[in-house]
Parts: sequence; structure tokens; C-alpha cells
Amino acid sequence: MAVGQNVLRKEGVEKLTGAARYIDDIALEGMLYGKTIRSPLARGLIKSISFDTDFDWSPITVCDWRDIPGENFVALIENDQPLLVARDVRHAEEPILLIAAESRTLVEEAASRIRIEYEELTPVLSIEESLDCREIIYGDDNVFKRFLIARGEVDEGINQGDLIIEGCYRVPHQEQLYIEPQGMIAIPTDTGMTVLGSMQCPYYVHKALKQLFNLSDEQAVVIQTMTGGGFGGKEEYPSMIACHAALLAHKAQRPVKIIYDRAEDIAATTKRHPGVIRHRTAVTRDGRLTASEIDIVLDGGAYVTLTPVVLSRAAIHALGPYRCENVRITARAVATNTPPNGAFRGFGAPQVAFAYEMQMEKIALRLGIDPLELRRINMLKEGDITATGQQLRWSVGSEDVLNAAVERSHFREKQEAIQIERASGDSRKRRGVGLSFFFHGAGFTGSGEAKMKARAGIEITDQGRARVLSSSTEIGQGTQTIFCQIVADELGIGFDDVEIEETDTSRVPDSGPTVASRTCMVVGRVIQLAAREIKEKIKRFAAELFGAPEIDLMEGRFVEGGKVLASFAEVAREYAAQNGKLKVESQYASPMGVEWDDDSYSGDAYPAFSWGAEVAEVEVDMDTFEVSVLKITTAQDIGRAIHPLLAAGQIEGGTLQAVGYGLTEELVWDQGRIVNRMLTNYIIPTSMDAPDMETVIVEKEYPHGPFGAKGVGELPMDGAAPAIAAAVLNATGAFVSEIPVTPERLMMIHEGTRRESNED
Amino acid sequence: MSDEKKPDKQGLSRRGFLKASGISLSVPLVLNYRMVKAAGAEVKVLGPGKAPIQLTINSKPFTAEVEPRVTLLEALRNDLDLTGAKRVCDRATCGACTVIMDGKPVYSCSVLAIEAQGKKITTVEGLMQGERLHPVQQAFVDNDAQQCGYCTPGFVVACKAFLDKNPNPTPEEVKRGLGGNLCRCGTYVGVRAAVLQASRGRKGGQRG
Amino acid sequence: MRGFEYASPTTKEQAVSLLGSSDDDAMALAGGTDLLSLMKDDIVAPRRLVNLKDVAELRGIRLLPDGSLRIGALVTVQELLDNAIVKRGYASLIHAADGITSPQIRAMGTVGGDLCQRPRCWYYRAGFGLLAKDKDGAALVPEGDNRYHAILGNTGPAYFVNPSSLAPALIALGAKLHIFGSGGQVEMNLENFFAAPTSANEKEYRLKPNEIVTEIIVPSAGGWKNATYEVRQKESLDWPLAAASVALKMSGKTIESARVVLGHVAPVPWRSGEAQAYLAGKTISEQVAETAGTLAVARASAMSHNGYKIQLARVAVKRAIMKAAQGGQR
Repeated sequence: MAVGQNVLRKEGVEKLTGAARYIDDIALEGMLYGKTIRSPLARGLIKSISFDTDFDWSPITVCDWRDIPGENFVALIENDQPLLVARDVRHAEEPILLIAAESRTLVEEAASRIRIEYEELTPVLSIEESLDCREIIYGDDNVFKRFLIARGEVDEGINQGDLIIEGCYRVPHQEQLYIEPQGMIAIPTDTGMTVLGSMQCPYYVHKALKQLFNLSDEQAVVIQTMTGGGFGGKEEYPSMIACHAALLAHKAQRPVKIIYDRAEDIAATTKRHPGVIRHRTAVTRDGRLTASEIDIVLDGGAYVTLTPVVLSRAAIHALGPYRCENVRITARAVATNTPPNGAFRGFGAPQVAFAYEMQMEKIALRLGIDPLELRRINMLKEGDITATGQQLRWSVGSEDVLNAAVERSHFREKQEAIQIERASGDSRKRRGVGLSFFFHGAGFTGSGEAKMKARAGIEITDQGRARVLSSSTEIGQGTQTIFCQIVADELGIGFDDVEIEETDTSRVPDSGPTVASRTCMVVGRVIQLAAREIKEKIKRFAAELFGAPEIDLMEGRFVEGGKVLASFAEVAREYAAQNGKLKVESQYASPMGVEWDDDSYSGDAYPAFSWGAEVAEVEVDMDTFEVSVLKITTAQDIGRAIHPLLAAGQIEGGTLQAVGYGLTEELVWDQGRIVNRMLTNYIIPTSMDAPDMETVIVEKEYPHGPFGAKGVGELPMDGAAPAIAAAVLNATGAFVSEIPVTPERLMMIHEGTRRESNED
Repeated sequence: MSDEKKPDKQGLSRRGFLKASGISLSVPLVLNYRMVKAAGAEVKVLGPGKAPIQLTINSKPFTAEVEPRVTLLEALRNDLDLTGAKRVCDRATCGACTVIMDGKPVYSCSVLAIEAQGKKITTVEGLMQGERLHPVQQAFVDNDAQQCGYCTPGFVVACKAFLDKNPNPTPEEVKRGLGGNLCRCGTYVGVRAAVLQASRGRKGGQRG
Repeated sequence: MRGFEYASPTTKEQAVSLLGSSDDDAMALAGGTDLLSLMKDDIVAPRRLVNLKDVAELRGIRLLPDGSLRIGALVTVQELLDNAIVKRGYASLIHAADGITSPQIRAMGTVGGDLCQRPRCWYYRAGFGLLAKDKDGAALVPEGDNRYHAILGNTGPAYFVNPSSLAPALIALGAKLHIFGSGGQVEMNLENFFAAPTSANEKEYRLKPNEIVTEIIVPSAGGWKNATYEVRQKESLDWPLAAASVALKMSGKTIESARVVLGHVAPVPWRSGEAQAYLAGKTISEQVAETAGTLAVARASAMSHNGYKIQLARVAVKRAIMKAAQGGQR
């Protein structure tokens, strides 16, 4: 069996030896290097563009918006984002011109010879400025999208409560900072356009490319090269770069490569949506939530892009993994003149998770109830109903993860030890321990998967091996490995006898994007079904071939009654000789009874949730307010772990990104431009900042996932920021309602808290 | 992926896309330097045009023609087709371009190719011993100390350099010793375990 | 990066004669980690680089007959850390060098380069000039994001902080600098090497375009307790938010005289006369260290976003004193 085993990562060795070719490692004959000329202004009108006449422009390919054959937009949800600005600049770093030349140095030289004059307009640079509507930059009121989730009677619920507790929480932008910068190569072909590059979603790029040049499915070819991390940052933005490279390649009739510099990548591409989240919660004295009103405002940036989908996930997760009969969640996303915010691991959930978990901390504080106890009182369990009215029917690991995290971390003992330590005198280094509890819906929200109908397949190669056909991309998370494990076990062959087709739209069907913690649970399921069908077919064939009706396929051998009749490869080759290539494609169908109503925004938001609980231990220097995270213990219910080591890697990695989100990562803006666009001043955790981590995988199997698997990609991003903030609260008494918890911010809160308590 | 066997849509294999070795022998050698009198001596001044350079990489001699502004990283990647070292920040911060030069780990993005002449340079491509992975690489495999793989070659080289200097490190020394490389996938836990495993006299360290 | 000429001389005389009368003409290349980054960002664009790495006389650490230590400008941070004499007598220097946590930077970066590295001010690095002015000549820092900027000596026109990791420790140890130029060798107190620029064409240190730093002379630290303490937001690949180096000349349990130098708080490494005067004649205690810290920031003034740094600087001074008292152990 391969499932559940820590088999070797499929693409591991080539990455380790330097043999793996990422997009920037590929050079083609006659290739040009492309560059994007961007606006330094957040909002304005282009008045003129001039090209230095002392410079020889003959070897330079230049494209502006007039070179776009069809309509000028990146195909996504609203189609409102232009590929190149014609006149109206709506955010800093917005692309205006494209240039290409034989060398990087020549293209840089050319770029310095272009002058663009603007008429400046007053930009809208924050959620507050957008909401006050002094400048209207989208629709009538700057609001991109609204959602309302309502359940029960909020007014009644408020009356039932003994106490009403309000909180306002702020969360910042966050940069994905995949280590491999964005990059694409476009190659004009006789029939259309081929694009290679770093991406999560080949069929998004495919759609954009088809739209751009009015190509057929076959004329546009998109190939994902080895991809050095995505985390959501390579979900939608690569379509833009692919179209840019393709425009230049089309005009020059030569291959064109565009690789972003790190500073350009930080400054121009998407970020996690910042937000302001308000909670108003009614609770009884014994800690039961009787009503919850939540208002979410996210900053979408200058264009719609994926914002409605992010907002939807934020709204659905806003109450957290808690029971409450009376809920009203209002969610808005507003426009600002900043680069569009987009997908980033967690996709709206980390924002609201910080808010709902800090609200729980606040409630515990006000009621004088232990924070762990408060979670236990209100946690969702199997059979309970969520804010959208979804009854949790299966695979609910809520209690299990909370118990596991508490036990493994010795949470209670640590709480007590800290109390004793505190009582014995004031130390300038204070320890604290904090808890968070969270959940994450796996797969697309609502009716997304039913509409998407993800496809994937398997074919048997001439060598008699199984090859997986799917557009789900390997971006480091282990897609290739787990797909091969699933096929190996379902089909009954060895892990090494399964391979992966190149992620090339001319060879693999559309499995949907590699996002939303859906790759294993949804696409893995489709692949499992395809394997099942292949097995049926080849077993039937073998049964006839050998006249053995009871024949079975196990570990790559056809056996009957304990006797080996042939190898899988032998039979597969015979099958091909008689019937042609054996190839099966399957499609995703939602499990029976999983239903969602888009109009009322209610129903089964996700087929399954993954569950997490996390305990953070911190030490706070009470003079400098530096926070060190000493240890994180996390328990996560992800259903069956197809590959426990890869799953642990996902959990460790997501958790560390969340440590950065909670503690150090902050983009500094000046007039709508990012100031800290270097790795020296946008501060992500290093080896020395990475705390010790203990990971407990809880496996509450999901009946409709492959071998019981759910999603793991995003869940780990949700828990660390609130757990750290809770630990800081425990250590210092400072209640943090805004992240990151920088020394500066913590010092201010602490001073404020001290002043308040002196006044009391 | 076995992409070399499969013809591409354009009738080219993927490997056919790759520019053949970067050392372009077709370009005639031009003596692009002049001697400048400095404090009584004649000092060679090269550039700003291309000048021939000789590098010793993974014990093999390489020649190329580069402008003085070309970094060692660019020369490796663009002129010598050694693309294991990656260009990520290009500002001496992230470590993805790490190579070993005369026994020391350096950021190849911040070394000029021209000044790397006469040095012994080891890149990730030079770590394998025949068909066998270097013990550090093997430890990375065993501990799955990689995800997306983009920081990995630089990290592997940095780990080797660290172990060369500290053959028997403590876990705390390992944590500090890896302070020159960034990973965003968050594989540090695995990398630390791998370094401990690869260190002399240690068999443990394996995860999972 | 723009094209440039390259020369790699073997003597300091050659090196100096290959330099020019401005940074546009030529610049000296040491470790390269800062200079090449500045060139890639087009903040500086010399027409010639003069590599100093082949100048053998700029290397090496050795004891001089008078007991002082001579550190060549091209000595790397790692060589400093590995040197037995430095380890034995110069704890504050070890602490400061150890704060440079990237092994690659330690292997490449040089002592001279550390002293001459340019400020990390993000306005400077984004091309707004060392004095960070917009196109109308208005200063960007006081009204902008100045969370990492100066809290001392910040009356303008310079608001950045000196980025050197080693300078505070070296100044506290009483180090001198040898500068070599066309007029021969000049010796200067390291403290006097740094000066806040008053106009756009000045740098934050006194080195003419055709001069190079050749060596640093550190007096014997016998009888001096010394230590460095850094406060940082992140453990590595980052510059400290504030740092302090102290050297305390002891007479029994009493401080005979003190040198207190703060880093990352002012456009120059900041010598605190107030703290030094206070410490003289005192016996080290938490309270004394605390007061010295408070005095060190007595004249500090916050801009819009950097008030917290005053507290950090105060604490850094206090802790550096206590660390020195404990024999400089980490």
C-alpha cells in the first residue's frame, strides 16, 4: 500500500540536484526579454508617452494597449482589469507598456528612455477613504460586492444574552513571497500561442490567452513548468504576465520571456486582502453565545479580480467553529487605488479567524471564564449547524483536535506554571501560552465544485504504466506524489509504476485550479474514480484473457486463488494491442445531499471542513516588547493523510507563514506604493525565527474523499496569528486587536493598558 | 517526468528548447582590456565590454566572455548553463544563489564573475558523487526537507558549507547556522533535521 | 546594473591611483554585498570598480608592539569572529559581529565594508537620495514612514540611521582608522570618521572618492569590560532596531571611565556623553545601568512613527552595561 506511507516525493531528487528546470532556467533560441513599464502613480490619467529620440528603438519591441487584438482585459470574474492601461491609471505599478529586447541590459536601458506624463487624481488609499465616498472609483459607492448571511433572530438572541461584547479587529496586507519570482515564456507558433511558466492554474492562463487572441482550445497551449511556490500568488496573476509575454511574442514573432524582479513582484502583484472586522456578541454568564453580529470589510484593491470569492469565504468562516443560533454576518469588499488584492493561502479565512478567535479571548476575559472552557462550551460538533445552516454530518474532528492540542502541549500545566511564576515576582521576560481553534472548508465554496465539474483521467502507457492526467499543479505541496499514491492503491499497482503527465493543456483535462484545499479531496477523488474504472476494465479483460473470472489485481500482479497469472504491464500491453489505448476520464460530482443556495447564501457551504487547534508559547521581553515564539503545538484534522510527512510539511509551512502574519509581516505604503519591497525589509521568518513545532494529524475520515482525505493546504494558515496574540495577552495583559504584533504596536498597547489600569 | 522522450506539439522536445551550452565558441576573442599606469605599475583595466574569463567550477575549467558587470550567478546561469543556483532577490539576502567559493559559502549574486577567477567554486551541480547523492542531499530526501524546491539548491550548498565548518553541530548551532537562507514553504524543521542527520557520527534526525 | 570598467590592483598605492575624483568616476569594491546591490538599484553608478580583494596588505589581524590590535580593512566578519585574540579580549566586537547572522554575509562582508556600508533608509534605497527629498525638495522622512529612522541627531537634514554593525563596538573600544589616499596615510579616531551629511553631495562618513580605509587599530581592552547588545525584530537577515556598545574602564568595582555608543539610532554611531559622565565613578548595578540608559536617550526625540525606538535604545544601553559587567557572556 502506498496511501498513508511516506513514499519518496516524485520530483524530489531533480529539485535537490539542480536538474529541475524552472521557467527562468529555460532559454530558447532567438528569445527576447520582456519588461513591463508601470505607473508610479496610484491614480491619474496618462497625458503623453514619449520615447527618447536619441535612442535606437529599432531592436526594441514595444506594445501598448492598441496592440491588443480583442478586448483589453484579463479574463477572470468581472473582466474589469485591463492588460495595459489606455488612459486611466487606477493603482500604482499598473502596467502601461511592454518592451522586449535581445538582452536584459538592453531592455533596462530602453526602459530608462521612456517618459510618461500624467494628470494626477486624488487616490483612495484605505478602507476608510473608500467607505466615506468622497472619491468614487467603482460603481456608485466603491463597493465591489456584498454578502449577507442571516440565521435565527439576532434581536431575540441579544435579549437572551446577559452581556454584549464588542470588538474591532484589523488585519494587514500580506505578501505571498513565493521564493521563485513570477515568470512566463510565450512562444508564437504556426497555429497560435504556447506559454510556459510558473503557475497554479494552467486553465486560467489558457482562458485568458484564448480570449486575448481569439484562439480555439487547441490553438492556445499552456504548460506549467516546475513552480517554485505559489500560496495563491500564482493563482490569478500569471494570466496577466502570460498575456503580456504573448502580446510581445505575437508582435515580435519570437519567443519572449518575462521574469519579474523581486522588488517588482512585491510591488505589483496581488496580496492578502487587508480588512476591518467588527464583532458584537451576546453571551450568557455561563459562556453560551446567543447572538453574533459580524461586519466584515475587505480592501479589494483597484479591480474586482477574485475579491468576491475571497469575501464569500471570509463571510462563511466569520463566526468560526462555534455554535450560535442567531447570526447576522454582513460582508463588503471595497475598491481602493492599490494593486488588486487576491488569492493567498486561507483566502479570507485567516483574516476572520484572527477576529473570531480574539473575540473569544475577549469574551473569556470579560466573563472570567477560562478561554479553553469557553471554546469547549461553544464548539461545533457532529450534528450541529453552522452559520449558513449547514448540518455537519460527517468527519467532524473538532473535539479531537482541541483535546490533542491541549494534551500534547500540556496547555493546562503551562497555564499554571505561568501563574505561579507570575505570582513569584515580576520578571522582565514573561512567558505566555495561548490557544486558537479554527476550521476551514475544503474545496470551492457553495456550488463552485458542482459548476466546475473538475475532470481528470488516467491512461495506460505503452510501457504498461499508469499515467495521471490532471491540470492540478505541483507547486511544492506534493500533488504529484499523492496522486500517484491514490492511483497505485486504487488500481492495485506499485507507486513507482504510476507517473504524472506533464501539466500541459494540450495533454491534460481541466481539473480546475490548484487552490482552495481542493487538490487532494476533490481532484484526488476524481482520479480515484478514474483508477477504479480502469481497474474494472482491465480486470474484465484479464478475466477473459485468462479465463479466470475471480481474477484480481494486487500490487501490480493479476492473481487468482493465490496464483500469479501475469503482471499488470503485460496485461496492459495486451489490452492496448487488442483494444487500443486504455484511457479513462472522470468528472467530479458533489456528494448526494450536499446543497447550496446562492440566493439566500445558505446551505452546505463545503462538503467537508478540516479542523484545527493550536497552542502557542511565547516569551515577551517587557522592556523591548520583542515577542519570541518558543513553541507551537498544532493538531489538525485533515481526514486521512495520504502522505503523513507531506501533510506535516504543509502544516508546518502554513503555520510558519501564519507566524509571520501575526508577528512581523507588514507592508509599508506611501501614496499607494509599497515602500518595503525587498527581502531585507519585508520580514518573513528565517530558520532562527521558526519555533519548534509539534504537529498532530487527526484523521477523521471523510466518506467522499479519496481514502477518506479532506483538505490540508490552507487550514494551517488560520491558527497561528490568534494563538500568538492570545499568548501575548496571557504574558502581558495587552489585548492585541491588530496584527502584526510588532514591538512598536505592543509597546503602545501596553502603555495604554497600564494607563487605563492606573486610572481605574 | 519523462519529457525527453515525448515530442512536443511543436515537434521539439522540451530539452530542445533549452539553449545548448552557454559557452559560445563562435564569438571571436577580442582583447578587451588596456593597461593603466597606477603608482608606477601597469594595472590591467577590463571592460566595460566583454572580456574572456576562466572559472573553475566543480573542479572543471570553464571559459566565457562577460562584461565586468556580470555577476557570478549570471555567468553560471546564462553563460555556463548551470542553473541550479537561483536568482531570487539578487541583493545578497535570500541565499538561493549560494555557492561555495574557496571553502566559504557566498551569495553568487554579489560576486562578480570576473573576480571569481582563480577560485575553487562548487555549485549544487557539483555535489553528487557519481550517481550517488551527496549525504546532505540524501538527508534532504530522507527528511523531505523541501517543498517547492526553489530555495533548495542554495540551501543544500549552504548546509554543506556549514557542515564542512561545523561537522558536529548542536541543534541550536544548526538553527543559527542556517541564518543565511530563506524558505517560504517553511521547511526549516525538515532542513534542521537533515543537517543533523548528515552531520558526522549521527544516524538519527529523520522525521516521519 | 550599468556597465563599468574593472581593475584589481595588488597594492594600496595602485588602488588609490585607480580611483577618481568622484563616485561616478570609480568606487572601491570590498565584500560587494552592499555596493553591488546599490549598483543594481542604480543608486550609485561608478564608471569603474576597483577591487580591493587582491590587495594583500589590507588583510590580516595582528597584535602591534604596543598591545593594540590591527585589523585589516578587508578582514571578513567571519575572520574576525574566528580570531583568537578578538575572542579573548574584545567581547563587544564579537557580539556585534555575531549579530550579523548570515554565514554568507559573514564570509563575504569585510570590516571596512561594514563601516562604509550605506544606510538602509528605504527612501534612500528607492532613489530619493540620502537626504530623502521629493522632487520639490521637501524632506520625506519626517512626514513619511520613519519607523526605523533616527531618534537622536534627527533635526535634519539627515534622518537615516547609520547601518554599521561594528562601528559602535569599535568606537567604544577607542578604535582608530587608517585612511590611505594620494596624500599618503592619515590616522583618525573612528568616531570622527562619521558625520551626518548637511547637503546632498555629502556622505555619512569622511572618505574622499580617491581614498580607502586600510586598517582599524583597536587599543588593548585590558581592564575594560565591554559588550554590545542589539534589539531586533527578527533573528536574522535584518538590521537591529537599536544597539548599544559599552566599554567600561574598571578600577576594582568602580567604573573609572566609560564609553557608551549607540547604533541604529542616529545618522552616526551615537556617543552618549551624558551616560558616560554619569557612569564615571559609579559601581555597576541594575539601577545605575538603568539610569545610564535613561540619560543616553534624554535628548532623543521621536518622529511620527519611531517613538518606540527611544525605549529600545534605553534598554539596549542598560543591557549592554549589565552584559559587560557579567564579563560579556551572551
